[in-house]
Amino acid sequence: MSTDSQAIGRPSTSRRAKDRVFRVGLLACVGISVLLLGVLLYDVVKDGVDRLNIDFITSFSSIDADQSGIQAALWGTIWVMGVCAIFIVPVGVATAIYLEEYADETKWFNRLIEVNIQNLAAVPSIVYGILGLAFLVRGPLSLGPVVLAGGLTLGLLVLPVVIIAGREAIRAVPPSIREGSMALGATQWQTIWKQVLPAAVPGIATGVILALSRAIGETAPLIVVGAATFIAFNPDGLASDFTAMPIQIFDWISRPSNDVNDYRPLAAAGILLLMILLIAMNSVAIWLRNRYEQKW
Amino acid sequence: MSEPVTEPRDKSGEETERGLSQRIGVHSGAASAVEDAPRFERGEREAIFRLEDVQVSYGPKPAVREVSFDIAENEITALIGPSGCGKSTLIRCLNRMNDLIPSARVEGRVLYHGQDLYGREVDAVEVRKRIGMVFQKPNPFPKSIYDNIAFGPRVLGMKGNMDEIVERALKQGALWDEVKDRLKTNAFGMSGGQQQRLCIARCLAVSPDVILMDEPCSALDPISTGKIEDLMMELKQEISIVIVTHNMQQAARVSDKTAYFTVELDDEEHRSGRVVEFDDTEKIFTNPSDSRTEAYVTGKVG
Amino acid sequence: MARSHFQEELAKLEVQALGGLDLVVGALDRAIETVQHQDVELAAMVISDDDRIDGRYLEVQQGILSLLALQAPVAGDLRIVAALLHVMKNIERMGDQCVNIAKLVPLAGHEPPADAQVLENIARMGAQARVQVIQCKQAFDRRDVALAQDLVRQDDEIDRLNREVFRLALEIGDDPDTREWAMHMMLIARCLERIGDNAVDIGEQTAFVVTGLFREFEDASHPELAPPSTA
Repeated sequence: MSTDSQAIGRPSTSRRAKDRVFRVGLLACVGISVLLLGVLLYDVVKDGVDRLNIDFITSFSSIDADQSGIQAALWGTIWVMGVCAIFIVPVGVATAIYLEEYADETKWFNRLIEVNIQNLAAVPSIVYGILGLAFLVRGPLSLGPVVLAGGLTLGLLVLPVVIIAGREAIRAVPPSIREGSMALGATQWQTIWKQVLPAAVPGIATGVILALSRAIGETAPLIVVGAATFIAFNPDGLASDFTAMPIQIFDWISRPSNDVNDYRPLAAAGILLLMILLIAMNSVAIWLRNRYEQKW
Repeated sequence: MSEPVTEPRDKSGEETERGLSQRIGVHSGAASAVEDAPRFERGEREAIFRLEDVQVSYGPKPAVREVSFDIAENEITALIGPSGCGKSTLIRCLNRMNDLIPSARVEGRVLYHGQDLYGREVDAVEVRKRIGMVFQKPNPFPKSIYDNIAFGPRVLGMKGNMDEIVERALKQGALWDEVKDRLKTNAFGMSGGQQQRLCIARCLAVSPDVILMDEPCSALDPISTGKIEDLMMELKQEISIVIVTHNMQQAARVSDKTAYFTVELDDEEHRSGRVVEFDDTEKIFTNPSDSRTEAYVTGKVG
Repeated sequence: MARSHFQEELAKLEVQALGGLDLVVGALDRAIETVQHQDVELAAMVISDDDRIDGRYLEVQQGILSLLALQAPVAGDLRIVAALLHVMKNIERMGDQCVNIAKLVPLAGHEPPADAQVLENIARMGAQARVQVIQCKQAFDRRDVALAQDLVRQDDEIDRLNREVFRLALEIGDDPDTREWAMHMMLIARCLERIGDNAVDIGEQTAFVVTGLFREFEDASHPELAPPSTA
C-alpha cells in the first residue's frame, strides 16, 4: 500500500473499546430491570398459577380459602370500569375538542385550564379518593359508597390522560384537512365532527384504553370511597355496593395465613388475573393504534 | 371613465333569476368606482370580482396593499410575482379563508357580482359554497374517493342522487375513467397528480362559480401539471378560475389575464406587496407597460 | 392529448401562413395575365391586392410572437415556429415580386413591339414559378424533404429560361422601342426567377423542420454544394 493512496483506516482500539463498554453498560441496565421483573413475575406465577381456574373466577370470597374466588371483585371491577369509561369518553373528548379547536390561546382562562390539566395528571390518586368521598359519596351528591361513585372517582383520576391523548390525536390531524373542509363550505362544527374526530378516533381510543388500564389497578381511591372488602355478591346496579380486584387482592394479602387457610395463592392468582386483563387491554390499544393509525 | 358593472337585469329593469341567485345575504349598495383601476367597458365580459383598494394586514403593517382590478367571468386570471408579494394572501380574501387567521384584517372592498363579500350580513360559509379553493399541497381527506367527493354535497345538504353527483364531479375533473372502478378505495392510494385532480373534483361537486387555485401544481411533476392545465382550460368555459403561481410559464400558458405583484420594503424593513400591472396575458408577456413587469417576466429580477 | 390548446394554436398558425402561398399563386396568375394582355387595370388590382399578403404577414408575425411568449415551444414545435417566420417573409417577398411585375406592365406601352419568343419564355417561366410555389407549399405541409429538394431541379429550369430571355433581349436588334420593351421583359423575368428562389428557400425551411439542420440547398457562392439534379 503506497503512501499516496491512503486506504480508509479503522478506528483506534481505545475508541472501539469505549464503544463496546458503553454498549455493555446499556445492556446491563436493561438486563437488571428485566431480571427484576422476571423474578417478580416468576414468584407470582409460581404461587398463583395453580389456583387460577374456572372455580376461582366463579366463586365468591369466603373465609374458607379453598372455596374462595374472585367473582364479586371481577364483576365489581367490570361495572366500575364501565361507569368510568362512559364518563371519561364524552367529557374527555369534549374537553380536548374545546381546547384544541375553539379555545383562544391568548385568553387567560384557557391557559389556566391547560396548565391545570397537566397538574391534575400528576396528583396522587388518593387525593381523588378523598375528593370522591367528600363530594360524591357524601356532601352534595350523597351517592353513598356505590358503583357510580367509584366509577366517577376513577374517571376523574384518569380524565387528564384522556384529555391529553385526545388533544394529541386532534392536533395530529393536519390543518390542511380542516382548511380543505372549510373551503368547501363546511362550518367549524361540521369539520370537527366529520373530519377531525373520525381521523382522531384511533388516537383517542388508544388514550381511553390506556386510561382504563391505569384505572383498573387503582386501589387507594376506591378504598377511601368505600369499596367493601368483603362482599359475596355481584353488583346489581349503579347504586349497588361493590368491591374491586385490587381491593380483594389487598384483602387476601392482609389476612393472616396459616395451614388451614392459606390466602396467599388466592392473592397471587388474583394478581395474575389482573395482569392478564391489563396485558389484554394494552394489546388491544397497541393493535388499534397500529391498524388504524393515519400516516399523513 | 367607465361605468361600474351592475347586476344582471332584464329589459324591464327587474332582477333576473340569475341576478337574484347570485346574491349572498342582503343587498349592500352599489359599488363606487376607483380611479385608474383596470375596468371593463360596457359590453365586455362581465366582472365576477371587483377589487377596490384592497389591503390585507396580519398585524400593524400591511402584507399586501393597493389592489384594484376586475376579474372577468369564464376566464383564467393569474397572479404572479416573487415570494412574499402577497398573492396567496390576496387570493384567500376572495373566499374569506383569511377569516380563519384571527390576526388578519381586510380593508377596502371585495365585490362579488357587485356584492361586498365582507359586508356585515354576509355569511362566510355561504361565500365558500360558491367560491371554492384548491391548495398547494393536495389535501384529500383520509376517506374513500367517493366519500371525498360526496363530503361537500353532504355537508351542504345538496339534494339529488349522490352517485350521480359524484360521477358528474369526477367526469368534470377528468378523473372518472381512472377511478370509476375503485371509488371505495382510500384516496391516499392515488398519485400526487391524481390527488390534486381529486381535490379539484371535490370543489366541482358543489357546483361553484369560481375556483381559486393557490399554486396547485407546484408539488406535482410536469405530466400531472400538464393534465391539470388542460383541465383548467376546459373548466373555464363554465367556471371562472383565479390562479396564484410562481411559475411564470404556467401563467403564460393558461391564463387570459395576469396581475403582476411586486414586493416593496418600507423604511422599517417591512415587506409588503402591491399590484404593479394588470392586463391581458399576451400583453404582459410580449410588451408589458411597466418596466418592473418586464424585469420580472424576463427573469432579470425576483 | 396534452397541451391541446397549444397544438391547436400552432396548427392554425401554420394553416394561416401557408394560406399566404395560395394568395401568392393568385397574384402570380394575375400578374402573368397582365403581361400577356397588357391589362393595366388588372395590374392595378394586383398592386392593391398585395395588401392582403402584407396583412397576412403581420397577422402571422403577431401570432408567432404570441405563441413564443406564451407557450415557450421547444424542439420540433420551436423549429416549426421559427420556420414559419422565414416562410412568411418569403411569401411577402413573392408578393412584392408580383407587384413589381405588375408595375412594369404599363411602362411597356399600349402597342409594344412584342417578340413572340420572349413572350413565350416569360409564359413558361410564369407556369414554372406557379408549379414551384404550389410544390413548396405541398412539401412544407406534408413535411416532405424529397419534394422540397426537388425544387432545386425545378428552379434550374427557371434559371435556364431566365438566361434565355437575357440572351434574346441582347440580340433583339436596334429599335429603341423594342429594346426598351425587351429590358422590361428582362426585369419581369428576373422577378419570376426571384419567386422561384423564394420557393426554394421555403423548401430549405421544410428540410430544417424535419431534420433540424439548416442547409442551403443551393448557394450562389457555392454551386458545387447543390444536391445532384436528376437528369
